[in-house]
Amino acid sequence: MGSLLSSLRYLLADFIGEDDDTPPFLPDGLPEGAAPVVSEGIHRLIDYQGASYARLYVARLRRFVGRRDVDDAMFLEIARLMAMRMSYEDPIRIAQLKLAEFGTGADDPRGRSTDDVRKFRFDELIGALPAVVAEPVLDVLERVGWTRKLVSIRFSTKSRWGVRRLKIEAGLRRWRLFSVRYAKERAWVERWLHMIGRSLAKQPKAAIAIVQTATMVQGYGDAYRQGLTDWHAIIDGLAKPTFDGVLPVADLAAAIAEARAAVMPDPRQVALQRAIAEIRARALGAGTNAAAG
Amino acid sequence: MDTSHLAEHAGAASSFFASIFVVATLSMRTMIPLRVFGILTNIILIASAIPTHNYPTLVLHAVLLPLNTYRLHQMLQLVRDVKKSVNSDLSMEWLKPFMTERKCAAGEVLFYKDEKAESMFYIVSGRFQLVESGIEVPVGAIVGELGMLSPSNMRTQTLECIEAGVILSVNYTQVEELYVQNPAFGFYFLRLASARLFQNIATLEQRLAQHATPAFAAPKLA
Repeated sequence: MGSLLSSLRYLLADFIGEDDDTPPFLPDGLPEGAAPVVSEGIHRLIDYQGASYARLYVARLRRFVGRRDVDDAMFLEIARLMAMRMSYEDPIRIAQLKLAEFGTGADDPRGRSTDDVRKFRFDELIGALPAVVAEPVLDVLERVGWTRKLVSIRFSTKSRWGVRRLKIEAGLRRWRLFSVRYAKERAWVERWLHMIGRSLAKQPKAAIAIVQTATMVQGYGDAYRQGLTDWHAIIDGLAKPTFDGVLPVADLAAAIAEARAAVMPDPRQVALQRAIAEIRARALGAGTNAAAG
Repeated sequence: MDTSHLAEHAGAASSFFASIFVVATLSMRTMIPLRVFGILTNIILIASAIPTHNYPTLVLHAVLLPLNTYRLHQMLQLVRDVKKSVNSDLSMEWLKPFMTERKCAAGEVLFYKDEKAESMFYIVSGRFQLVESGIEVPVGAIVGELGMLSPSNMRTQTLECIEAGVILSVNYTQVEELYVQNPAFGFYFLRLASARLFQNIATLEQRLAQHATPAFAAPKLA
């Protein structure tokens, strides 16, 4: 009977979630002082998605364990920022946090009745659903030009119905890893790690600056979208060409800092694009002079 | 002479006979025998539906018969192609009918180094480069076939599209399904993967020998 049930569970794993809830072990050879940070990251991701997601975090961290070119401080920063980025804020996460807040404040009547209204873009909201459902809807929204339209969503624990609704929304986490948003987040984290790896190989001094670019991508809605676009502009305009050897930037860390200083809450990225263009022109000019000299 | 009762008896007998085939079909463990028995069941049920004028059953099995035949043909062709590939050029072209076409823009990364491998790709057009080694993957190449069998399941390089093109991709799960459904395919697939692995080892040994020769030759010359 038990084996039959486990076969059924395996067959329906995509719909009912995974059976395996064994939390991952801390990787061997962690730098001094890293254990609490990594442990916190693991707990955060178990709460966010589940044990297998936390195992993915540990597997990604292992890439940097025991590397001579990664010092303790950099490892800690990678561990902290990766946990932060892997627990990205989608409507499901906000519902989870709201429920947790409600659970903590259950004994304290002053903390119970709270109401949050958050603004999401339509594509962000639909993107949290499984791709098989979300993609056709997103296609329709794209055609009618509504993908960027903002929608206000109320996260409330004031009423029984509000709490019930939050539970339903939080329950969508079962399908989070099949969502359009997750596919993009996964690609983003991998690209960030890839850039750190390339920096360690090509410009080790700039690696910490690349690690810290993860702080640019935070939150949800327009602020998140803006941060993401700015991050790609800096990576595509400065970091990647430097690693590819087509842009001779001598001090990439300084160049990234200069570009980040030009980041404004401007969807057209005028100041940032100008700063990147100036850095590129300077680097190419210096490269030409060095070649001529 | 009234022959309706004869037709009735013949219908009942053939329905009983067909039921045995339905049970036999469902008890098959692998895909090829399952399809063969499915075809036999379709034929018997069509034959039994004619004397009893059971037209809905007749129509249903007339539709299922070509479907089962086509799927059986696909499976047999797959085994034949993999077997042929093992004995000739070790190509993985036989996988193409099971792959999904996708366009790639320049700058798009198909997978990153150390990422968990989940699918393999066939390069149809465009230019693709392995970032870490700088090696360009030629059109017609299959990338990521050994990741499915490697215990670590990790990508060893990053693959980037450097000139827009088209790729075909197939998920490891789909290949695993083919493997499990069809033992003959599984056997030849393993032989093919091992042969490709041995081919890679031979290439590396050859390269190693080329690099090692001058070092050993130097003292003699001196």
